Amino acid sequence: MKTTRRRVLQGAAAAASLATFGIRSRASFGQSGVVRFVPHGDVRSLDPIWTTANMSAYHGAMVYDTLFGIDADLQPKPQMVESWEISDDQLNYKFALRDGLKWHDGTVVSAEDCVASLYRWSARDGGGQHMMKRVREIVATGDKTFEFHLEEPYGLVLDVLAKTSTPLCYMMRAADAATDPNDQVTTNIGSGPFRFVEDEWVPGSKLVYERNPDYVPRNEPASGMAGGKVVHIERAEWNIMGDPQTAMAALQAGEIDFFEVPPLDLIDILKADPAIRIEVLNKLGNVGQIRLNHLHPPFDKVEARQGMLALVNQEDYMRACIGNPDYYQICGSQFACGSLMENDAGLEWMENAPDVEKAKELFAAAGYDGRAVVILQPTDIPILSNAALVTAQLLRSAGIEVEVAASDWGGVVTRRAVKAPVEEGGWNIFHTWAGGNAQSNPIALSAHAATGENAWFGWPEDARHEELRDAWAAAPTLEERQEIARQLQENSYRIVTQCIFGQWVGPVAYRDSLSDILAIPEIIPFWNMKKSA
Amino acid sequence: MTGYLVRRLLATIPVMMVVAVVVFSLIHLAPGDPAAIIAGDNVTAKQIAEIRERLGLEEPLWKQFALWVGNLAKGDLGTSIFSRKPVTELIVQRAEPTIALTATTLVVAITLAITAGVLAAWKAGTWIDRGVMIFAVMGYSVPVFVVGYGLVYVFSMQLKWLPVQGYAPIADGLVPFIRHLILPSVALGLAYVALIARITRTSMLEVLSEDYIRTADAKGVATRPKLMRHALKNAAVPIATVIGIGVALLIGGVVITETVFNIPGIGRLTVDAILKRDYPIIQGIILIFSAWYVLINLAVDVLYTFLDPRIRY
Amino acid sequence: MATARSLEPVAAAVVARPKRSALAEFVRRNPTIAVGGLILAFMAAVALLAPWVAGDPIRFQPIDRLQPPSAAFWFGTDNLGRDVYARTVYGARISLIVGLMVAAVAILFGVLVGLASGFYRRLDGIVMRVMDGLMAIPPILLAIALVALTKASVEIVIVAIAIPEIPRVVRLVRSVVLTVREQPYVDAAIASGTRTAKILFRHILPNTIAPLIVQATYVIASAVITEAALSFLGAGVPPEIPTWGNMIAEARLFLQIAPWPIFFPGLCLAILVLAVNLLGDGLRDRLDPRIARRM
Repeated sequence: MKTTRRRVLQGAAAAASLATFGIRSRASFGQSGVVRFVPHGDVRSLDPIWTTANMSAYHGAMVYDTLFGIDADLQPKPQMVESWEISDDQLNYKFALRDGLKWHDGTVVSAEDCVASLYRWSARDGGGQHMMKRVREIVATGDKTFEFHLEEPYGLVLDVLAKTSTPLCYMMRAADAATDPNDQVTTNIGSGPFRFVEDEWVPGSKLVYERNPDYVPRNEPASGMAGGKVVHIERAEWNIMGDPQTAMAALQAGEIDFFEVPPLDLIDILKADPAIRIEVLNKLGNVGQIRLNHLHPPFDKVEARQGMLALVNQEDYMRACIGNPDYYQICGSQFACGSLMENDAGLEWMENAPDVEKAKELFAAAGYDGRAVVILQPTDIPILSNAALVTAQLLRSAGIEVEVAASDWGGVVTRRAVKAPVEEGGWNIFHTWAGGNAQSNPIALSAHAATGENAWFGWPEDARHEELRDAWAAAPTLEERQEIARQLQENSYRIVTQCIFGQWVGPVAYRDSLSDILAIPEIIPFWNMKKSA
Repeated sequence: MTGYLVRRLLATIPVMMVVAVVVFSLIHLAPGDPAAIIAGDNVTAKQIAEIRERLGLEEPLWKQFALWVGNLAKGDLGTSIFSRKPVTELIVQRAEPTIALTATTLVVAITLAITAGVLAAWKAGTWIDRGVMIFAVMGYSVPVFVVGYGLVYVFSMQLKWLPVQGYAPIADGLVPFIRHLILPSVALGLAYVALIARITRTSMLEVLSEDYIRTADAKGVATRPKLMRHALKNAAVPIATVIGIGVALLIGGVVITETVFNIPGIGRLTVDAILKRDYPIIQGIILIFSAWYVLINLAVDVLYTFLDPRIRY
Repeated sequence: MATARSLEPVAAAVVARPKRSALAEFVRRNPTIAVGGLILAFMAAVALLAPWVAGDPIRFQPIDRLQPPSAAFWFGTDNLGRDVYARTVYGARISLIVGLMVAAVAILFGVLVGLASGFYRRLDGIVMRVMDGLMAIPPILLAIALVALTKASVEIVIVAIAIPEIPRVVRLVRSVVLTVREQPYVDAAIASGTRTAKILFRHILPNTIAPLIVQATYVIASAVITEAALSFLGAGVPPEIPTWGNMIAEARLFLQIAPWPIFFPGLCLAILVLAVNLLGDGLRDRLDPRIARRM
């Protein structure tokens, strides 16, 4: 065939278009495939079972996978599990893993791995421990099958396995799960949709995850922690920034794509920027807790606790701590407004808050002797720092002496574990918050326990409360659980396990090149997320 | 001279011992529990106690100290409680940004300061003198983070000339490296201009009033070469001292700059370690800083002998 | 007799010169000392009169947060609804106290150690090594560690900022002691059996006063700024107690939307540092004979 100019041109055109096609598809993965994220804190430990810190849970969601996960309606649905059966007497659960599950080192996920992981996790998790009291054993019955053998029925098995309150029930290889629960695992091999790029990890500053090409998502649309986890980006780079203003400026300048905690007072500036989206992912938000120390005066007397309760004016707290009314709500429920367990039992204290006169009477009835109430104040967490000052001012208005003990959060966390009296280094009040979803679970959240010395810091003790909690766990239907939640809340405010100072949401901010970010309580997912060039 | 060097190097050992004991006692005797911090919120006191036990924090203090010193002798600075990475590795990983920032800040500060100081000394007693010194002080009287925010607002957000934050390793190119360091060095450098300018001015004044300067005047030597050659060389000694101090100060001063500009350096590493009570990192870094400072002092003292022939050891 | 007559107008003129020109003369010849001193005196006066001049710096009404300056709140309110004017005035107290106490502590310990170290050769070696050790620990980190590990309070912050300043004072005093010790009159005093204490405090100490005063002024300025830095890192004076430093640090988030809680304490801080530096510079120029001659 004669080589005509036309043929040469045609050939050249064909070659050129092939080349550009190649370049284009590489480009769509190159720069635009990287999501630069600034989270709310540092991932201090890479073992999401060993620590209950939320950042470690985020890390876990990238690298590990769970047997069950909550879907967009907060219902437990299977993830790693293909099918399961519950025996008629509710004492036997049979689980079968789905196909295609592999660890990042190439080995296949086995039932042995899952059993070992379950034991290690339940040694650390409150909900898990609650469940394991009723479980005689968990055994692997095949390569991909395992069973739970229970002593008595427990309606919450799937809920506990699927919950997103920390620590989540992430699956690890048997060798890693054999690590003592009080030690950290030494590797980061999971079966999740991302791989941890350990070479690029700068502790305290940067974490890098890359897409796991061997991950087989479920053949379903994405839905919460359940459904198909399809990854559309190549890499996620997590940048730990100590200064929220720097992060904000970086977001506006396009140096980062996704900022988890834009300061609420500055939201309007971001809203005015056409390239930035503001979205509330965690609709249940956070619930503020005022923890009272039940072991020592004055709050060892229920009247004094009632006095504190009478002073709690949520509007004051929310304005001082959150500021922007668009993002907070007044909510007295111990179980987070907007959740399935929300109710209005026992909320009389909200009607006249702050009822200074009543508080004075109650403190007098408790025999308040003028001693200083010690409030722990973490100066490096503005919301809690301000909450401490609000509590101090409210108490002072009722004639109570207050000493605000300022320190960093590390100092607060150390001191709140001290059970000794105040004179020997103890405390009377500290503030903290829990995710709304976690807060709505009377079993999974340690703060709801009233087991005295073994309870969470504050150590409330009430036998009836514990009976109610057990009843809640055993209740077979949602309606019954909701009814028991009412009673729990009523009781909670009768003995005042803790006070609630408000509920708020924290919107995230991201550039408009990102889209399809799933809203999962307490987790920021990077699957399903898309980044346009 | 060699004898002097050897003696000085040997003297660093007791200094380091002092530092080691002070630092160790400080963080272990005072209340603060890394186990409580790392366990997160949703735990009980019992679980925290178990973690403490596993971390070896329940051992008697003297035992923990002996363990640490023993490891030091082997060149092992210990392992981070949180990330389980060796402290040495963490320091090496974060050293480049801090060193780069320190170097560029010193360049900025010294250039501005010596110019200001010489100018002020030359026109001593006039309003130029006072004006220059007041400008210098202003760079220092506004906290570094405020200056930082201001610079970012003007140069990054409004003018878009420079990046907001971050650090570009020199291996990735000289231009991004410099671009990322301009604002932080200026913000931090301004704070030191006053210090160095004042010392420059004082030294220059003291020297200018010396007899040999009047001789140069009488000889009819022109002003600028006179200033440069005679005065500056003699004033160099105390200035070198100040620079030594400045370097040490910078190690602490970079902390804020690293936070504001998100530079992953050693300053930030140390503050984070202190706030989460990661004892091995705190101990390791402070020890390294101290060694660094002691060596800098030694280098400056040696520099003296070259700058001022009258000084002999 | 013509000479005597011609002297009279001169004599009359000499007698007739107004007395107050002595003060004016001082101000004219030492403007920096005068201005610096005046500003400091004013700030100290305001600080002392705080309870009468300002309202309540601690009480707040969250509903009033971030209000711009108005008749009710002269300097506006901060993010908790506290009165920025009241906090700025009370902040003068704590900031000045922190500055002065740091200088006092540093100078007291520095003088004692420096005198001893400079005078007694055998002590000198050990003391200087310990001082080197202290100086080697970065000041901000030492301060953060002390505050984070004990508790946040004005006292701890003062100690934390003062400790790294002590070695510098020691060096200063020691160098003076080393020089003065060689003087003949000191030799004479020792030879005639004068007690060491007397030698130290009668002959040597006075020579240190001038450079110490100058150093003190710089320490004051540095202390107030360091306090702001500590507050930025979360390790300063507890936020309930206002200092200019922690007011600036706490309000930095609102720089773009509500600059007044930063602006007013920031301005005061800058003026204080400037005044102190002017004072220090002026004093040094006046007290250092070699420089004074040149001016």
